Amino acid sequence: MARFRLQGSKVLAVDLAGDTVRAKNGSMVAYEGRMDFKKLTGGGEGLRGMVTRRLTGEQMELMAVTGQGTCYFADRASDIALVTLGGEKLHVESESLLCADDSLRTGTTFTGLRGAAQGNGLFTTTVEGTGTAALTSDGPAVVLRVTPRYPLRVDPGAYVAHTGNLRQEFQTGVNFRTVMGEGSGEAFQIHFEGDGLVYVQPSERNTIGGDL
Amino acid sequence: MPFRAINSKIVEARVTPGQRLFSRRGAMIAYTGEVLFTPDLHGGQGGLGSMIGRRLAGEAAPLMTVEGNGTVLFGHGGHHVEVIEPAGDTLHVEADRLLAFDGTLRQETVFLGSQGGVMGVVRGQATGQGLFTTTLTGHGSVAVLAHGGVIRLPITPDGPVHVDPQAYVAHHGNVTNRLSAALGWRDVVGRGSGEAFRLELSGEGAVFVQASEEKL
Repeated sequence: MARFRLQGSKVLAVDLAGDTVRAKNGSMVAYEGRMDFKKLTGGGEGLRGMVTRRLTGEQMELMAVTGQGTCYFADRASDIALVTLGGEKLHVESESLLCADDSLRTGTTFTGLRGAAQGNGLFTTTVEGTGTAALTSDGPAVVLRVTPRYPLRVDPGAYVAHTGNLRQEFQTGVNFRTVMGEGSGEAFQIHFEGDGLVYVQPSERNTIGGDL
Repeated sequence: MPFRAINSKIVEARVTPGQRLFSRRGAMIAYTGEVLFTPDLHGGQGGLGSMIGRRLAGEAAPLMTVEGNGTVLFGHGGHHVEVIEPAGDTLHVEADRLLAFDGTLRQETVFLGSQGGVMGVVRGQATGQGLFTTTLTGHGSVAVLAHGGVIRLPITPDGPVHVDPQAYVAHHGNVTNRLSAALGWRDVVGRGSGEAFRLELSGEGAVFVQASEEKL
């Protein structure tokens, strides 16, 4: 299987011995050895997957990289975190997925209102199976554990990804004060309950809710 | 005189009487001691002829001469700064990536079209890097700007390195570079992988690559 390692905090090095990884389109910065780059249509799920993605605005622009040697990936100087999956499912914003083992299945799930408030559409990307995935974040991501006793609330703009058996609920704190322009700037939150891990970045993306 | 990295975005340089260094104009952040900054009308070294060549080539990042006795901090635009020591070798770097360099280094402008003929010209055009590049030869320090961190990849005779032209920062050594295009009909119809152009560096040396596909 492809070996993922970090070269510094912002460059991902993947050692390939004839195997394949899927990576964000155009994210290769350098390589040693022989590499072949092929664009994947709609994230590799055939025509149906592509059509769903077009409809939902969750367009993953992925390419398949096959080769012998080391390929280096980076994206706009973002920090990179490695996630090792042992059969569980990772939910991630498509723009934060940099690279994944070919053995991992990618798909989309419905997120409801949360997606809309983040301006990311109503769906997020899921990555499932056994293997490694690399996520990008604006600043080094922190991993927060959620247990039944300790639920977690996250700013939608700082949310990057999550794994585990988690229920998420979108909460608004919009009230009279917010409407009168006295908002705290924290009008929207995602509430996580259950058992799992949440990846949060030390930065806030611009969201529709962010201005309230 | 080596530059000292204060953090990933600021370098400190010592200036002593009789020695000078060049820096990108306006890149001084702070200084102590008696230091004089003068706009370098000759565009670094190499005299007037070289300057005109550089102007024509679009390889004319405005420089200033830094002289005196003291310590100067340099940084620019919040970009990452990488300190490279050519150690007698020749460093190839684009002028707009130069933050500061030792005055003892010999500066030249190299026409890329001469390397690889037509492909050299195409390379410059396709990558938006211009047709000329700056070379610095000798012993001393060079502070180079990059978007995000920088990794150094060794180039060995049996292993060329391929680099995304937008992520390329600098290289040194006895290296030939060639733009390899992976243009097939897929790319023409807009279904490319986004990796249509690659810079192939072969020979012996090292290449510096930034963690981003964004130009400065």
